[in-house]
Amino acid sequence: MAGTVALPQVRPVNPALQFLKVIPGVLLLAAVGYAGKLLEANVGKYAKAHHWTFPNIEYVLWAILIGLAISNTVGVPEIFRAGVATYEFWLKAGIVLLGARFLLGDVLKLGGASLALVGIEIVVAIAFMTFLGRAFGLKPKLTSLLAVGSAVCGVSAIIATKGAIDADDEDSSFAIAAILALGALALFTFPLIGHALHLSDHAYGVWSGLAVDNTAEAAAAGALYSDAAGKLAVLTKTTRNALIGFVVLAYAFYWASRGQAQAVGNKALFLWQKFPKFVLGFLLISALATAAFFSKDQISALANLSRWAFLLTFAGVGLRTNFKALSKQGLKPFAVGAIGEVVIAAFTLGLVFAAQRVFHW
Amino acid sequence: MSQQEQTAAAPARQRGLSIDAWAVLLAFVLAALVRAGVFKHIPW
Repeated sequence: MAGTVALPQVRPVNPALQFLKVIPGVLLLAAVGYAGKLLEANVGKYAKAHHWTFPNIEYVLWAILIGLAISNTVGVPEIFRAGVATYEFWLKAGIVLLGARFLLGDVLKLGGASLALVGIEIVVAIAFMTFLGRAFGLKPKLTSLLAVGSAVCGVSAIIATKGAIDADDEDSSFAIAAILALGALALFTFPLIGHALHLSDHAYGVWSGLAVDNTAEAAAAGALYSDAAGKLAVLTKTTRNALIGFVVLAYAFYWASRGQAQAVGNKALFLWQKFPKFVLGFLLISALATAAFFSKDQISALANLSRWAFLLTFAGVGLRTNFKALSKQGLKPFAVGAIGEVVIAAFTLGLVFAAQRVFHW
Repeated sequence: MSQQEQTAAAPARQRGLSIDAWAVLLAFVLAALVRAGVFKHIPW
């Protein structure tokens, strides 16, 4: 058997078994999220009744904090892990349902303005991260992964690019760890900066959608500011996500031209495979809402379903973030990511200020 | 990609719908149930 490669076996998965496996973790997401909602409702009341000065903490932050506390103390037991990993599924379902809260005309108007900002952000982020990666002597493919992660959409973009440019598992885990750690920091710093600068809900939402890399963290950072900011953060981030295929394709061409990745055959098929399908779902639900397919009460019900889906997502953001595990991934990629993120956040904030004047947000 | 890797990658591609597609499907089913009046009020 000389020359053969040991490959992981792809075993057929029993769908019923798979479903049962995720139930404990989904219940944990629901319990953590609901505890966050209960704390939001009751802590403020309790503090007021006892004449304490206590800031009003939203359920989003409570859910993330409870999740972080579990993940970083007792850890998430094995039985819950498969279900906790479904938080991205709930995020995407929540985004599609959120489409009911947008009229298609608003989506096109806001999405058009966001698209211009997103285009500038992607070009600047890729150029700057590439420069930083070279300056710090990172491996070229790790630099590419960090650049894509910070320019487009965090973990999904890194995974899509990893496959397209044949990057190492180690490089992609470095890049994912850096992007996740920085996303967790953004949850706590962005709302503070937004309030300090007295940003409007609109401006703050667009900024979060432009500068926070992972979609779950972008949605959470927006929702921590206000409901309206959360909506705008998701819309801007979804616009960024929609461009993932083009950026990954460009990187695939670049590495293939250097003989270090497989050449791309059918470009249209490649773009379709990488295109996030939930963006189409969001647009379709938005089109149905615009065509008055849903009554006002039904739109309100869909909006609440979207909030429940996001609640599971925010619980998952805390539960899957383990600072000890992230810190083991090495300092250099984190340093490059951190410097890059700070510069990109400052640059996109400038862009938002400029857009605020043009679009009168 | 070597032939062996291609062989290994093929079944993974044929495993059915992606997580995105399942999420869209769930959202549409929920929207259809709300539209049909099965879920009249979702509390928050």
